[in-house]
Amino acid sequence: MSQEKEKLIAELVNKGLDGDMDSVNACEDRVTRSKVKAMIMKIKKGSLDRPQMPVSLSDTPNESDDTGKTDDKTTEDISQKIKNMLLDNFPDETDETGQDGHMYVRPDKWLDIATWLKSESSLLFDSLQCQMGIDVGEDILESRYNLHSMVHDHYLEVRIRVARSNAKIPSVEQVWRIADWFERETYDMLGIEYVGHRDLRRILLPDDWEGWPLRKDYKEQETYHGIVVPKMKEGWD
Amino acid sequence: MGLVHGEEMVLNIGPQHPATHGVLRLQVRTDGEVVSQITPYMGYLHRCFEKHCENVTYEQVIPYTDRCDYLSSMSMNFGYVVAMERLMDIKVNERVEHIRVVMAELQRIASHLLCTGVFGLDLGAFTPFLWALRDRERILDLFEFTCGARLLYNYMWVGGLSHDIPVGFVESTFEFLDYFEPKIDELENILAHNKILVERSADIGVMPKDIAISYGVTGPNLRASGVKWDLRKNDSYSIYDRFEFDIPIGEGKKGTVGDCWDRFYVRILEMRESVKIIRQALASMPKDGDVHQSLPKKIRPPKGSVYARTETPRGDLGYYIESDGSPIPYRLKMRSPAFTALSVMDEIAAGWLLSDVLAILGSLDIVLGEIDR
Repeated sequence: MSQEKEKLIAELVNKGLDGDMDSVNACEDRVTRSKVKAMIMKIKKGSLDRPQMPVSLSDTPNESDDTGKTDDKTTEDISQKIKNMLLDNFPDETDETGQDGHMYVRPDKWLDIATWLKSESSLLFDSLQCQMGIDVGEDILESRYNLHSMVHDHYLEVRIRVARSNAKIPSVEQVWRIADWFERETYDMLGIEYVGHRDLRRILLPDDWEGWPLRKDYKEQETYHGIVVPKMKEGWD
Repeated sequence: MGLVHGEEMVLNIGPQHPATHGVLRLQVRTDGEVVSQITPYMGYLHRCFEKHCENVTYEQVIPYTDRCDYLSSMSMNFGYVVAMERLMDIKVNERVEHIRVVMAELQRIASHLLCTGVFGLDLGAFTPFLWALRDRERILDLFEFTCGARLLYNYMWVGGLSHDIPVGFVESTFEFLDYFEPKIDELENILAHNKILVERSADIGVMPKDIAISYGVTGPNLRASGVKWDLRKNDSYSIYDRFEFDIPIGEGKKGTVGDCWDRFYVRILEMRESVKIIRQALASMPKDGDVHQSLPKKIRPPKGSVYARTETPRGDLGYYIESDGSPIPYRLKMRSPAFTALSVMDEIAAGWLLSDVLAILGSLDIVLGEIDR
C-alpha cells in the first residue's frame, strides 16, 4: 500500500471516529472505504489503537476544485444521506457500490424497498421519472429507476441487476402507477419479466413479435406474417 | 340515482380516426353511452428509435429526435443537446444559449397553438383552428428563415447550433410578437369563454393532483391539476433562471381544478409567458459570438450515464444516455411526456360519456410519433 493511501485511511478513520461518517462515505475508492470502516469497527471494539491524524492532506486540491460548485456538493450530500438510510434499513438488500447518485438493489425485496421509498416521510419519492432497461453484457440485464421527490426535490437512481436466465424483478406498478407502462415497455424491449404486474404484455411491438430487440444479441426474425423483415444495411458509417 | 346497466359493447376508436391525433387505437368498453374502460393500443408508428440510436453516432441521433415529436422538434433537439452537454461537460456561449431559448419558446407557442386549435376542432369549432394555424404558420416561417426547414429542423447541435440566426431575424421576431399578442386574446375570447366549449370541457375528465403525479403526468397537464411544477424554474437548465415569467396553473375557473377546460386554458396562459421570455431573451442576446465555437471535433463522451430532463410543450422530456466511451450510444432511452400522459386515460376517462372521451384525449395533447418512438 502506498504511503499516500495509508495517510488517507488514517485521516478518514480519525474523521469517522469523531462522528464525521459522511466524509468516509464520500470516499470514492471502494477498497479504501471498506478498509476504513473495518478499522473503525476494530478501534471501537478495542482491538486496535487509533492511528495518528496525518498532517495536511491530499484533499486540499479537491476543495479548490469545488469552489463555486457548492450546489453540486449539497446534492451529492443529500444523495449520500439517502443511500445511507437505505443501507441502514435494508442492509442485506442493498449494495453501496455505485457512484454519483445511483445505487444497486437486489431484486428480491425491491417491492418493499420501493414502498418504503415512497412512504418514508423524509424521502417521499412520489414520482417515478423514468424506468429503463439495459443489456449490460455478460448475460446481465439491468432495470434502472430514476426517482424524484416533488416534495423534497431530491433524486435517486436505483439499479437492479438480474441474470438473463432468470430475468425476474418484482413489479412496482402499484407503487407508482406509471411503472405499469414503463415496465411493459422494458418487457417488450428486453424481456425482463416483472413479477406481479397485472397486465404484462407487449406495448409497442405486436403481440406475436419474436425476440427482445434491445438485447445486444438480438436477431431479427426472417419473416413476419409472410412479410420479409428488412435487415439492417451493412457498411454504414 | 342508480345507474341503469345496458348492454355492454366494445368499440374501437381508431387507428384511423381524426380525433386520435395520429394512429392510435382506443378500445372502449361501454355500458350504454357510458364508458367503463379504455384500453389504448399503440405502436402503429413504432420505428425502433432507441434501437436506431445504438447504430448511429451521437450527431446522427439529432435528426431522429426531430421525428419523435414532430410538432415540437426544437424542444426535442434541445433536450438531447442538454443531456449530451451535461455528459460531456461542454459549456456553450451566451449567444447560443439565448438563441436556443428563443427557438424553444417559439416552438412552445407553435405547439400550443396547434393543441388549442385542434382542441376546438375536436369539440366542433372550426374557425379558431384556422386562426391558430394561420399564426403558427408565421412561426414556421421564422424557423424556415433560420434553418431552411419548416418542421424537422436538426437545428441544435451538441455544443452549438447548425447556423447562426440570419440578419433581420430579431426584428422579424419582434414584429411577430407584436402581431401575435393581441391574437392570443382573440383566441381566448372565441374559445375559452365560448358557451359550447365550456359546457363540453368544464368539470369533464378531472385529474386530481395525486393521480397526475403517480401516473407521471407532467407539463401543462400536471400544472392544470394545480401543481406549480415547471422544469424551467424548478430544475433550471440552460439560462431560464435569468428570465422573469410566471407558471400558470389550473384554478378551476369554469369548473373543477384539473378538468379539460383547465388543461386547455393553461396552454393559452403559457403562450403569454413564452412571449415574455422571448422578448427578454431577444433583448439581452449578445451581438457577437460564434455558434460553432464549442462544437467538439468528434463526439466521444466519457464512460458513464446521464439522465437529463427538459420542459417541452408536452411536459418533462428525459433522455437517459449510457455511454461506453465510443462514438455510438450504448443505450439511449427517451422518456416521452405524451407516453405518460396517455397512460392516465383509463383512469380519468372511465365513467364519462363516449363523446367526452374525445374531449379528454384532445386536452391531453398527445403526439403519437413520440409515444410510439
